Amino acid sequence: MIELPRVPGQELGMSTVTRRQFLKYSGVVAAAAAPMLTVDQIAAAAITRPLPLGTPILVVVTLYGGNDGLNTVIPFKDSAYYSARPDLTYKPETLLPLSSDLALNASMTGIKSLWDANKVAIVRGVGYPKPDRSHFSSMSIWQTGSPAAHLNTGWLGRWLDTQATDPMTAISLGSVLPPLLVGAKQSGSALPLGGLAIPQGVIGTACQRLSVASPSDDPLMAAAATSMRNLFNVSGNVQPILAKPAPAAEDLPTVSGGNAGGDTNLSQQLNVVAKLIAAGAPTRAWSVSLGGFDTHANEANAQALLLGTVSKSITTFLSQMKASGRSKDITVLVYSEFGRRVKANGSEGTDHGTSGPVFLIGDRVTGGFYGDQPSLSKLVDGDLAVTTDFRDIYSSVLEKVLGTPAEKILNNWKGRVNAIKS
Amino acid sequence: MDLQRLEIARLFHRTGFGPKPGEFAAALSAGVTSTRSKVLSPPSRTSFVTPPVFTDLGPRPAPNSADVVDFAQQLRYQNQQLFLWWLDEMVASPHTLQEKMTWFWHGHWATSIGKVNYALPMFNQNVTMRKYALGNFKDFAKAMFSDGALQVWLDGQENTAKAPNENFSREMMELFTLGVNRYTETDVKELARAFTGYQVSRSSGVLTFNTRRRDTGSVTVLGKSGAMSPEEVIDHLVSQENSALFIAERIWYRFVSSQEPLPQNHPMIKAFAGRDISALMGSLIESSALSQQHYSMVKSPVEWFIGLCRALTITPSKLPSPTKLYGFLEKLSQVPFSPPNVGGWPVDQAWLSSASAQYRVSFATSLIAEANLSELAAVPTVRRPAYLADLLGVVEWSTRTSYAMRGVRDNPQRLLVTAVCSPEYVVSQ
Repeated sequence: MIELPRVPGQELGMSTVTRRQFLKYSGVVAAAAAPMLTVDQIAAAAITRPLPLGTPILVVVTLYGGNDGLNTVIPFKDSAYYSARPDLTYKPETLLPLSSDLALNASMTGIKSLWDANKVAIVRGVGYPKPDRSHFSSMSIWQTGSPAAHLNTGWLGRWLDTQATDPMTAISLGSVLPPLLVGAKQSGSALPLGGLAIPQGVIGTACQRLSVASPSDDPLMAAAATSMRNLFNVSGNVQPILAKPAPAAEDLPTVSGGNAGGDTNLSQQLNVVAKLIAAGAPTRAWSVSLGGFDTHANEANAQALLLGTVSKSITTFLSQMKASGRSKDITVLVYSEFGRRVKANGSEGTDHGTSGPVFLIGDRVTGGFYGDQPSLSKLVDGDLAVTTDFRDIYSSVLEKVLGTPAEKILNNWKGRVNAIKS
Repeated sequence: MDLQRLEIARLFHRTGFGPKPGEFAAALSAGVTSTRSKVLSPPSRTSFVTPPVFTDLGPRPAPNSADVVDFAQQLRYQNQQLFLWWLDEMVASPHTLQEKMTWFWHGHWATSIGKVNYALPMFNQNVTMRKYALGNFKDFAKAMFSDGALQVWLDGQENTAKAPNENFSREMMELFTLGVNRYTETDVKELARAFTGYQVSRSSGVLTFNTRRRDTGSVTVLGKSGAMSPEEVIDHLVSQENSALFIAERIWYRFVSSQEPLPQNHPMIKAFAGRDISALMGSLIESSALSQQHYSMVKSPVEWFIGLCRALTITPSKLPSPTKLYGFLEKLSQVPFSPPNVGGWPVDQAWLSSASAQYRVSFATSLIAEANLSELAAVPTVRRPAYLADLLGVVEWSTRTSYAMRGVRDNPQRLLVTAVCSPEYVVSQ
């Protein structure tokens, strides 16, 4: 069989949808320029004003591209599942059973252990009204929390607006701020991954000299000099935090040698988050992400690899947090902009669909299923029905994790998912 | 500070993309008045680089069909050609105000290829912007209503009599013609009704009218009632006094200062009475604004890059790797045809993060490796900073930057990297 190249994303034309592209075209942008934090600034804040132990922390994991929910939480006893996508199903015995009729994708062993420990809530059939199947508008709806009216703020951005002004309160990993952290009064901060490469050698010396303020500088020139200075300005307080290895995940088996998927961007992001939480960063909400879920073709391997990454990164992260004494404070929310169609397409993949499962993970979560599993015999235009509105979850997260009334933030939304302990 | 040198530097960097070799010194001897009139001379043409041919690629073939690979390659190729063509145009253009205005209008009617997908409608929009860059704003706004790329970008074809979509009508008033709070929510809804009935082919950008989608009822927008065509109602919007104020404000914000507001009753507003953009720009350039020392602005990444190409005679499309070039501009968060949102790009401090400082150093290093520096190398080392100030159109070097350059002046490449990453070049003083 001739393997065709991956088909570029339908909406964005040039390549599959990446987080970066979405952010660029989202139409939501911070009113003021989003503060770009450096790791050292956060670390310095962690030292001078650490977050009190016991303060709940939210970690939002966005899966860009539209995760196939039906092959994540799998109705492995339903014959309709097998007939709709014959080449894209799993043998029941390979799966990780959660109940008599639902099982997790075989790659998600870590999350299965957390499920067994009653720390995973799976909210089924989550979506928004009148799904339109576009990456662009679906993700925009999920991130703004507003399906009807187009808002210029994100749901966590509006939460930030209720908080004291502080660039450390919500932080996104990566150089561009996702719309979910954009507020009207203040926005979250972006923390570029991988840090900054400091110019070295003769040019390094010249740049260091350029970074000095000059008496003749106007404010913008002084700011330009400062931006160069910040490149070099990694304080002595901070280096140790970054140089230290990430907190150990002592209760996980050590993996020797390479493992499938390798060190991924999501695990790097969560590794930095783990270090900074452990150091005491005064941050209540973190945003991390993984792209590549737009599996129009040859889905099975690609999705299993991605879900394995999600599972392993989150499990490792939560274990790392145990040593810091903060693992009890953390709630992880995992979502994607839509599920995929029930029927496979002609290229062993799936096209854009509607609802999908959302995961809430952590010590503060009451494990189990929430929301109804969308029936494969009652499809809406060939797609899964939306049985739970995504704002039910946001409302509960705002109230139970962030301790803030949800009404104003979500336009008086009344639904709740009672999966988080008070 | 030498105020004549300051104003001439600004005439190059604000109303253009920086001097080509020799131009700055020549302008200094010609003087401010002569340089102003040169900037304001009507352009002989709107484009100076022959554009590539952009074809209608039609709808995307079905996934995994035989044609989809070829389609995807052509789409990518045309999009890359478009990007390179405009960069070349900015570098080559002998009429810098014409080109700078085109760039300004791109950030004003900010449309992204990220949603439009196809190069052809984006190219056609650019041609329209060139045509009206210094023309009549009323005609321009009407032409932009019929622009396929803008219609796709703002969901124009979702706007029907049955189910109005207010995206285009809201932005038309808020971002394009009047400014926020200079209309009511009712105006937005009514304007949306007057905009109904148009459909657009995504791949060609061609607009068609569909009577069945058209709301033929009477609408009331900003006090005027009737069954108005889009042209009539846009005429009414642009005729508002607030429209002259708004466009003058936007020009001020992008050309003079984002830190201080447009002074009340600035002569630009009156000069724009007939909605002639060249008259507005004439009034700005003849005013004292550009000689006032405190109105500094940070060059956006594209402005900084194009200035460097012009000074070093680099043709962007001839750089070894278009992908690398695209990558640098993307890291600096400014790629032509890809504004972040309908509000256009940010200004000033937004371009001054420590990450952008780092990327500027690596971008400059990679660009300068491609330049012929033999002329700089022939200048005695002690005179090189002064030579570079004229080459780059810098008003004056601070003691800080002079000191930094002294350590690298023996090496032309390092000296240039240092000069173009200095606050004096990153900021238009």
